[in-house]
Amino acid sequence: MAEQQLNSGGARSAWAVTFSVWYAMFMREAISRTMADRMGWFWMIAEPVAFTSVMIGIRSFIRGDRMIVGADFIPWMIVGLMGFFLIREGMMRGLGAITANQALFAYRQVQPIDPVLVRNFLEGMLRTFVFMLFIVGAQMLDMELFPDDALQAMAGWLSLWALGLGLGLIVSVLGTLVAEVSIVVRMINMPLLILSGVIFPLNHLPHWALEYLMLNPIVHGLESLRHAFFDGYHVVHGTSMTYFWMWALSTIALGLILHLRFRDKLKAK
Amino acid sequence: MIEIRHLFKRYHNHQDSDWVLKDINLMIPEGISVGLLGRNGAGKSTLLRLIAGMDTPERGEIIRYARVSWPIGLSGGFQNSMTGRQNVKFVARVHGAGLDVQRIIDDVEAFAEIGSAFDDPIRTYSSGMRARLNFGLSLAFDFDVYLSDEATAVGDRAFRAKATKAFKDKIGEACLIMVSHSEGILRDLCQSGIYLKDGQALWYDDIDDAIKAYHADTDSSHDNQPEAFEDLASLSLQQLHTLRLERKQAFEKARQEMEAAQKPDIPTSERKAYGSAFRVAREQWHTVIMAIQKRQADKETDT
Repeated sequence: MAEQQLNSGGARSAWAVTFSVWYAMFMREAISRTMADRMGWFWMIAEPVAFTSVMIGIRSFIRGDRMIVGADFIPWMIVGLMGFFLIREGMMRGLGAITANQALFAYRQVQPIDPVLVRNFLEGMLRTFVFMLFIVGAQMLDMELFPDDALQAMAGWLSLWALGLGLGLIVSVLGTLVAEVSIVVRMINMPLLILSGVIFPLNHLPHWALEYLMLNPIVHGLESLRHAFFDGYHVVHGTSMTYFWMWALSTIALGLILHLRFRDKLKAK
Repeated sequence: MIEIRHLFKRYHNHQDSDWVLKDINLMIPEGISVGLLGRNGAGKSTLLRLIAGMDTPERGEIIRYARVSWPIGLSGGFQNSMTGRQNVKFVARVHGAGLDVQRIIDDVEAFAEIGSAFDDPIRTYSSGMRARLNFGLSLAFDFDVYLSDEATAVGDRAFRAKATKAFKDKIGEACLIMVSHSEGILRDLCQSGIYLKDGQALWYDDIDDAIKAYHADTDSSHDNQPEAFEDLASLSLQQLHTLRLERKQAFEKARQEMEAAQKPDIPTSERKAYGSAFRVAREQWHTVIMAIQKRQADKETDT
């Protein structure tokens, strides 16, 4: 709180300290994420591929895939899955970030928010890389997965990243302080995948159901990302990026407030 | 220089937790090494954590006019799943070492002398190995003030000697704030002392005075012990066993201190004091063991 470090011998500025913490933590997280796990690299690419194939298999088994107007089914689903994973992983990586780095709060330079920010950044970078691999791979297979409006696609991607960050910030504080929260968060993962229109298009649902489903900001983000990829795609009626960004900004703000409020508690935990 | 103003600290473990530290005002001058004394639970480690900035006080403030290390000692500071080398690299980067990182890693590896274990995950380390690494790491940075929380307590004789020497070499460019129950080391390395008692901190310009004050308080409670001896018969077997374990620990600690004091640079009078403390501890331990054996023998004759 009222602590200062006044040093004649060249104390580093607050920003310099923060940047060196982020740098150190980024290198650490990057190594443990990609190298420490067995075949970490392989699964980073294989997991979404496997997931997509399973989903496509189920979908084409249940019913035909000619319900989506203005886009092929497989690229449509890949875009949705990638966008959804970006948010979900942003949230889930934040959940364990503080506990995993508890030992490092012994150094006063390290704050509880640092691992959350760094993990989210790292996860976003990795997801972006994997997505690009997918796009290139699809291109080689002659599949239409190149964005028709690249600028809008990038904007949509960054928006999803921002919401993931906001959720990650909130969940990291609450999940660390209240153990039950992390259980609930893990639980809503699967229903969220379906409710966000990742696998089944929401367009065909009745109006009364849509009214509720459109409260979920992830739908808005995914639909406009899809629109950026497929020019002729008809988004779900009522898709609004303003609504999405209201969510993103409020979750980020709330997350930052929580981190500020419970900083000492998180450190002492 | 470190300035502590109206410092209050308590932990919210229970509903009516008492203040661990209550209105502490201190001015630790530059270039003076300070020993922290007090009973277990008097708040020595808490004060050290607060000075290090690991913890925040309930009220009051701590102003550091110098580069202060983290508390060097047993507790934490390393991430278990990463190797020693990776942890050292991380800490070096956090402290803004920049291009110096490799030099720091080499220094720490040389000091810690843990061999190939340097590339094993921290979770496989013994407490002595952790202490070596933590200690070596802190020495790799040029702090003005080093905080030591029993940094030399674990670790073998060679390491203790090395650590003490390393601290001595730093005198002049850096100073120490240390918690230790080994009074020899305190006398060796510190000039002044702080005695923590009932949440209050008393400053002594001379470490010897602080040790004397500490002894005066603890010895007065030792005087009551002969009465406790007579009560051995009234204790239950369970209580006797816990007492035996306590005595055993005290005995072992006294033995370690005595062994640590077996150095030519410690005056004979002080060595004798450790020797007699050791003998008293051994005597007390044996009394309890005898009492337990007697009790068990009685039981067998009863049944």
